[in-house]
Amino acid sequence: MLTAEENERLCRVGPDTPMGKVLRRYWTPAFQLGDLPEPDCPPIQVPLLGETFVAFRDTNGTLGFLDDLCLHRGASLALGRVEACGIRCLYHGWKFAADGTILETPNFPGSTFKDRVKQGSYPVRESGGLGWVYLGPPGTEPPFPSFRWAAASPDQIAVSEMIMDCNWMQVQEGSIDSSHVGILHLDTLAVTDPRPRAVGSFEFAGQPWDTGIAPQWRRQGLGWPSHDNGPKIEVEHTPFGFHYAALRDASEPGKQYVRVTAFVIPYTAFIAGTTGSVIVVPRDDTSCSLYLAANVPAGANGRSGGGGMNQGIDPSVWGPERGNRRLRIPSQDREAMASGRSYAGYRGGNRIQDAAVQMSEGTIYDRRREHLVPADLAIIRMRRLLTDSMKLVEEGKPPLGLGEGYDFSLVSGAAAVVDAGTRWQDLVPGNLGVPAGTAVADDSPEP
Amino acid sequence: MNDRDGTSLRLAIVVDEACARVYEAWEGRARVTALRVNPAVYEAVAVARPGEVRRGYPLMLLGMELVPDEGVATYEPAVVKEEAC
Repeated sequence: MLTAEENERLCRVGPDTPMGKVLRRYWTPAFQLGDLPEPDCPPIQVPLLGETFVAFRDTNGTLGFLDDLCLHRGASLALGRVEACGIRCLYHGWKFAADGTILETPNFPGSTFKDRVKQGSYPVRESGGLGWVYLGPPGTEPPFPSFRWAAASPDQIAVSEMIMDCNWMQVQEGSIDSSHVGILHLDTLAVTDPRPRAVGSFEFAGQPWDTGIAPQWRRQGLGWPSHDNGPKIEVEHTPFGFHYAALRDASEPGKQYVRVTAFVIPYTAFIAGTTGSVIVVPRDDTSCSLYLAANVPAGANGRSGGGGMNQGIDPSVWGPERGNRRLRIPSQDREAMASGRSYAGYRGGNRIQDAAVQMSEGTIYDRRREHLVPADLAIIRMRRLLTDSMKLVEEGKPPLGLGEGYDFSLVSGAAAVVDAGTRWQDLVPGNLGVPAGTAVADDSPEP
Repeated sequence: MNDRDGTSLRLAIVVDEACARVYEAWEGRARVTALRVNPAVYEAVAVARPGEVRRGYPLMLLGMELVPDEGVATYEPAVVKEEAC
């Protein structure tokens, strides 16, 4: 639970808000590279952290990420023409380079204005099928987080995006909430558990299991080896934020089912037992983009844009618009729920089930009303670290989890059945910065 | 809602600290029956949940009943526990 003031600070993301100032200190996933597939292709408008930007790929293939409104008279550059190494505003023809340099001012010829002012521009990087931008103060960029799934060749990376009309924190909290998995996602468990379950069917499991991102436990024939819905949560801080273990009694006596999730402040969760990440980015205070980025077998689904990643999802959630990514909650199949064919009643699997409950909390959930329990520890810790970061930034210091000197390709989650009492940290040896099989050299100076 | 040094009370810290103490108690095989908190925290929870106060429900945090205690620092909630037999 939070006070009203804390909730506001946690949820609002505009440039003048405490959280907005924190989020701008990290590299932020802003758009899918598949939306800018080739030089001089149409630009895209990017709502991000309560502001609006334009992204384009110029004639040389260089990405530009600029303030959307033309600095002349404020028309949207997303309406403009991408041509001859720049983007031209449709209104009066002012033209800007990828770095914001003013190249032409047709209605003000010969002026030195263009030599002294630039359109707002931001550093942009391409990684893992996503365009990442840095919106913080110039000169404060942290090291770029090159995650392990981003190192694969483009045809082995799948990215999808769902736009959800609720505050990003509701979605982010869901991404590190282990105790809902064995309940909300019973439809999925019904088709992955080797033992029969009383409710659920493939028709409602709908997650794209055939694209190769199925959790390791399914490939290994582990199913979901637990009926324990009250996991014990253990959290440990890391250079990137924290990782936590959800410890459940396994179905097999003397064993424990461990799911380790790594949370990279502030956007990314490496979900236990998968090859990729869930990335939640605020578009504004009341909507967010949920990216799913994962490694897939070559040829399975390796294109950005995510059409294939959305296999199995009820098409009605996208509405009639072609290429729409804004999610609508489909109606529940109450008959299937009553008959046992489905627990949640949503065709589309985990992501639709998650989205339904998260959006049902309202556009900005009032956390004064909630009743957390100890199984919510990861959510509790995330809030604390984010609010700690706000305080640090207000004091002129960098926020937490920038991972200076840390190799982000080491971050991983894990899921396994182990002997009770086994150290779960050994399942994710890279999370503390120590490559598997090596010892830590203590080179700290003598006190 | 401010704590005693005049800064805004951060329930995010209180809840995190309380949760850690609950898990510590559970690790020691104790049953936690309540949480003792600084009165400022108790008041903040009461302000946040007027409906529950109006209905006469006990104020709860992490599923534990809250007990206001002047002897507890703002960000150092304490568990009330029963040792397991």
